Amino acid sequence: MIELKDITKVYIRGSEEVNALRGINLNIQQGEFISVTGASGSGKTTLLHIIGCLDKPSNGIIKIDGIEVENMSESELVRIRRQKIGFVFQQFYLIPGLNVYENVTLPLLFNRRHKDKNDIASLLELVGLKERIHHNPNQLSGGEMQRVAIARALVNNPEILLADEPTGNLDTENSEKIFDLLKSLHKRGLTVIMITHNPELASRAEKTIKLKDGRLQP
Amino acid sequence: MPFLKLAVKNLLRHKIRSLLTLVGIATSVAVLFSIISFNRGFERGLAKELQRAGIHFMVVPSGCPHEVASLVLHGAVIPKFLDLNVFEKIKDISGIDLASPILVTQLPNPERGRVDLVYGMEMSHLKKLKPAWEIEGAIPETDDAVIIGSEIAGHDNIKIGDTIFYGKKPFKVSGILQKTGSQDDAFLYMPIKAVQEIMKKPDGATAIGVKVSDPELLTQITEELSMKIPGIQIVTMGQVMQSLASLASSAKILSLSIAIIAILISAVGVMNSILMAIFERTQEIGMMRAIGASKFDIFRIIIKETTMLTAAGGFVGIILSVIGSGIIEGFVRSFMPYVPSGRMISFELWLAGLCIFFSLLVGILSGLYPAWRASRINPIEAIKG
Repeated sequence: MIELKDITKVYIRGSEEVNALRGINLNIQQGEFISVTGASGSGKTTLLHIIGCLDKPSNGIIKIDGIEVENMSESELVRIRRQKIGFVFQQFYLIPGLNVYENVTLPLLFNRRHKDKNDIASLLELVGLKERIHHNPNQLSGGEMQRVAIARALVNNPEILLADEPTGNLDTENSEKIFDLLKSLHKRGLTVIMITHNPELASRAEKTIKLKDGRLQP
Repeated sequence: MPFLKLAVKNLLRHKIRSLLTLVGIATSVAVLFSIISFNRGFERGLAKELQRAGIHFMVVPSGCPHEVASLVLHGAVIPKFLDLNVFEKIKDISGIDLASPILVTQLPNPERGRVDLVYGMEMSHLKKLKPAWEIEGAIPETDDAVIIGSEIAGHDNIKIGDTIFYGKKPFKVSGILQKTGSQDDAFLYMPIKAVQEIMKKPDGATAIGVKVSDPELLTQITEELSMKIPGIQIVTMGQVMQSLASLASSAKILSLSIAIIAILISAVGVMNSILMAIFERTQEIGMMRAIGASKFDIFRIIIKETTMLTAAGGFVGIILSVIGSGIIEGFVRSFMPYVPSGRMISFELWLAGLCIFFSLLVGILSGLYPAWRASRINPIEAIKG
């Protein structure tokens, strides 16, 4: 489903060249649950952004559903992001002025889609927030905010869920709950790629990949 | 949720900041709307005032047309007199309904220690010359009676039946002109014979007001007059109006420039406020790009925010100017060279619409740069954490 071949990424930071990724070869099958670990600066997030069509590799080939995307234009990449990919971030990034319902349906706006209220309600039920539909983000706990963010990532029915340290800002109990939620989504057939610093959670994923200095560790 | 709602919700996140920016726009739109309304009212008022003048044109000695304009409207004192025979010649021309000599001068009033502006006229023609006047008391029937303007009456506390002296000659106040709101209020109206006598100018006149029977023949008659009578100048009401309009035009341009500058300043305020909001929302914008917003989507949201802000400001501004039209009118009157009587500012829906459209335009223009900046936010940089 996702194929990476000799992916490298070089970017300039000030006067130095940073080799974020140095030849990544990776195959991810549909429905896999992969955890990505590695020290800060090992290239985890860059890898996630390239898989999520948010960033382009400097070299190499990346195929999503058999289609090469590394040379696509910005607008084509936007379309792939809208249709196939859901993003979850460590800082949740909910919009403060919007309630739970509005935050969750935000991607529909960009995708020019409409979804029935009941569909949103069942989506919120899936992430365990049915009662919070009209709450504002500032009325929610961290764990609840991350659930809203996950619901937002799912609203366009993506094939791939990319989570960049989704439990990084949560306590153990909430981390556990978010992990369980991701796992249940994976059981429903979603491909989940999760960056984490928590080795215990990482080990419970179906497959773990480890990055060091932009290379995959065996 | 449509884009518009998102834009409005974004604005509502910084209520005070949005409100202050909106007040800036509202104030400048209010000024613009009031000034344009005032200018339009000015033209209408002028036309109305000229209609009320009752005559179609003035015959005056050759001279400065501005002098004539002020003669017609304020009764300025022109130190020139028409020849005695002019009046007779005018009467001979067919199609003339009324030709009435007017003698405007200043007479010393030692009793009150000042100089009065005196408008000498044929009292029997008064109703035709000044059809809009409302007079308390009576129109003088003899040459020793006068009508006074309300300003003089109020200032000197003169009542009907009082006596005023010019030279040694007594004049009885037979009527008081009710407030017209124009310079007419500051004059004293005396039978022309009496003025001629005081000035020792029998048959003297500074101007002759002429009313024609058929206004359609106006051009024909004025042409005939200027051909037949040398040394005179004919000033039609249309010319007077143009002359006054040109006097007022520099004030109009000045006032419009002030309004435009005010709008420019508030547009910069909008730009600044939205730019600040964008810098604060960099991560959020990066997130939106990641979850499927295109650059153009971001651009749109920001443009909608600025246009919502300025359109709302424009709307509030128009409400403000309707509420505060009296104050604004007083202010504008204070620096306009001549203002017709009556209220100048009136609400016109199309003009209000135009002003709101203009504020929308200002919103789009002031939003272009912030929107462009926002659309260029690199999502990877923004969501780095």
